[in-house]
Amino acid sequence: MVDLSQYLPILIFLVIALGLSTLFVFLPMATARLTGVYNPTAEKLSEYECGFPAFEDARSQFDVKFYLVAISFIIFDLEAAFLFPWAVSLGVTGWVGWTGMMIFLGILAIGLAYEWKIGALDWD
Amino acid sequence: MNFATSLMLIGAELGLCLVALVLLLLSAWLPRAAARVLTIAAASALAGASIYTLALLLNGTAGPDANAFGALLRLDAFSAVAKLLIYLSTFACLVVTPSFFERRGQYRGEYPVLLLFNAVGMSLLVSATDLMTLYIGLELSSLSSYILASFARSDMRSAEAGLKYFILGGLASGILLYGMSLVYGFAGSTNFDAIRTALAGELGTGALFGIVLVFAGLAFKISAVPFHMWTPDVYDGAPTPVTTFFAGAPKIAAVAILTRLSFSAFGEQFAAWQQIVAFVALASIVVGALGAIGQENLKRVLAYSSINNVGFLLIGLATGTAAGVSAMLIYLAIYAVMTLGSFVALLMLHDADGVPMETFGSIAGLAQRKPALAWALLVLMFSLAGIPPLFGFYAKLVVFQAAVDAGLIALATVGIAASVIGAFYYIKFVKVMFFDARPSSDARAEVARNPAGHWSVLAASTVLLSPLGFLLTPAMERWAAAAASALFLTA
Amino acid sequence: MIQLFAFYMFATIVILAAVMVILARNPVHSVLWLILAFFNAAGLMVLVGAEFVAVLLVIVYVGAVAVLFLFVVMMLDIDVASMRAGFVRNAPLGFAVALVLLAEMVLGFGAYRAGGLALGTPAAPSQALPGLSNIQNVGALLYTRYVFLFEMAGLILLVAMIGAIVLTHRDRRGSAARQDIARQIGRKPVDATVMTRPKVGEGVEL
Repeated sequence: MVDLSQYLPILIFLVIALGLSTLFVFLPMATARLTGVYNPTAEKLSEYECGFPAFEDARSQFDVKFYLVAISFIIFDLEAAFLFPWAVSLGVTGWVGWTGMMIFLGILAIGLAYEWKIGALDWD
Repeated sequence: MNFATSLMLIGAELGLCLVALVLLLLSAWLPRAAARVLTIAAASALAGASIYTLALLLNGTAGPDANAFGALLRLDAFSAVAKLLIYLSTFACLVVTPSFFERRGQYRGEYPVLLLFNAVGMSLLVSATDLMTLYIGLELSSLSSYILASFARSDMRSAEAGLKYFILGGLASGILLYGMSLVYGFAGSTNFDAIRTALAGELGTGALFGIVLVFAGLAFKISAVPFHMWTPDVYDGAPTPVTTFFAGAPKIAAVAILTRLSFSAFGEQFAAWQQIVAFVALASIVVGALGAIGQENLKRVLAYSSINNVGFLLIGLATGTAAGVSAMLIYLAIYAVMTLGSFVALLMLHDADGVPMETFGSIAGLAQRKPALAWALLVLMFSLAGIPPLFGFYAKLVVFQAAVDAGLIALATVGIAASVIGAFYYIKFVKVMFFDARPSSDARAEVARNPAGHWSVLAASTVLLSPLGFLLTPAMERWAAAAASALFLTA
Repeated sequence: MIQLFAFYMFATIVILAAVMVILARNPVHSVLWLILAFFNAAGLMVLVGAEFVAVLLVIVYVGAVAVLFLFVVMMLDIDVASMRAGFVRNAPLGFAVALVLLAEMVLGFGAYRAGGLALGTPAAPSQALPGLSNIQNVGALLYTRYVFLFEMAGLILLVAMIGAIVLTHRDRRGSAARQDIARQIGRKPVDATVMTRPKVGEGVEL
């Protein structure tokens, strides 16, 4: 088993963060409920959008351009994820590892050049 | 690990990768009209890769210990033969592709690039001797296939085909990966030879589950029953040149890796997978033969025909003998030619506006309108049905011969019975073309002219399938036997 | 003790969140549950000592894949009502499949209890190097022994990129709405205005 005590600070941090954020959400609600007058009606509870009832569902279809951006993000995100182990193990892998990564980056650089030239990075 | 040797062994793939990368950049910089030039470049790269592979095979470099990168890949006679088949059928697909998309204004330089990457993935797949190489090769090939299936993106059916293929293909990859991780867990290695050693002896339940899941995942990729549901829809929806490709090269690659995996990694567990393969073979033959009967769309008929043919291929695998594998390879080569020819013929059936004629109704009386096309289709269909003077008969003969020799009499009997049923719809093609009157309300335009590339591919496949093909049998038998024995050297 | 506690916490939340992914009626909620499931799976990875995998799970899945899932969900025009109708219609079949799966799980668990699981020992090249951390071990294998597969993984990423562009990119370079900043800045008054001196009573000919 791994020595997990090194993760204790982050565990404590997470517990405190969770506790505080819960407090911030529920404490005002509880205070309002306990001190104010609680008397809901249908009108009070209806949604309010600049004085009008909401026109449509908040979920609407949007342009496929966003998708292209998200895909590019994921691809380069994955590329970056490969860089972490490469960077820390360069002492073991030596020139083989270095050359390998350069070829990998080269392949994706070609992809980036293609993407750029074809106009996929332009918004309009 | 010697990098120079490794690079020399994968020279064909390396060349294809480099050409594909250059073509990718060119497709962005050159105008759209240059796509045809890029296609020619890609086709020549494939031809070069075939020559390189053939040279390695002939000068004896390709051998059982031609391992590249540790033991990730092996260039033996088996992978060299499979690669040649893959490169050549991809080459033929490239020849017939551009005019189809150009008529619709959809052609672009990415098409040949994706096809080249697909070819790289497939050749990694067939030479894989490690589960990880297998998976990477499979994904490289599948991912580009999904894109190709929906290449005509403004066409609803093409987009639907791509999406269906993607979702079901993703599921199959997941199943395969799950099986592979089980196999790795119980064997302790991803290398085929090491798995073979580790799994020798009695097979535990967990490892058995792994093997079954791996077979299920690969059965999906070769569209064998019961994992065939996607095939008619995808073949029907995808643009016809893409379907031509799907029915050929990827299927060759998947069948080849299934064979290699069965004999090298799971070779000690023949008893465990023989039942699965025999069942899948039977089911594919029967479903493929029966499913096509009610179909009106020609592409769907050919899709069922390919399911049916996969069943015959798997009979060769189920024998578990070198003779069976060699019969399977012969069948694979002839199947590739038959399916290529019939889809190219289908591709040539369109009117002057480029609207495809894809139903039985639209080819009625074709013999009077386009006798050459009709006669070529006659040869192709009779060959698919396995009617004696044609070469397709020889393919079925060697497979059944191997099955009978291995004592699988029942399998062979059912196979022969089902091929008689299957002959029904092949003969229906011929009946409709030659004996049905053309529709009297002939507002329908004539079948338009086709470029020379289509005619040459069609002519080449027709000649190969005619009785002249029998001249090739000694050479084919020699190659197939060499390839098959490469798998059994480790045994 | 704390490890045991952490394991059960993460494992319970993973399973619950995975169940909720399927049960949530709103697809967006499903995605949010999925993120929770991934996050807790990352916690499990930390527990078994695979820190790098945990980091990957957070970076790649929780970040990128969740973003992508949200996009896909937003882009698909899913009619929730008709989906529910299909659910009711297919429910018996779904239950049948679920029963089969349950039976299989029970069988599998029975086999496990019978002691049928004998895991293989890792082959020599994939055994950990002493004195190196988890992530260094990953690197030491990935960039030497499997460097070729690593390059091929790069090609897969490239194909994914080409695919996204081929399938979704629409060339707007010809359209009027496109902004070309260089042209905009390089524009001079001479290009846009004409000085004329029309005579009285005559119009300007443009």
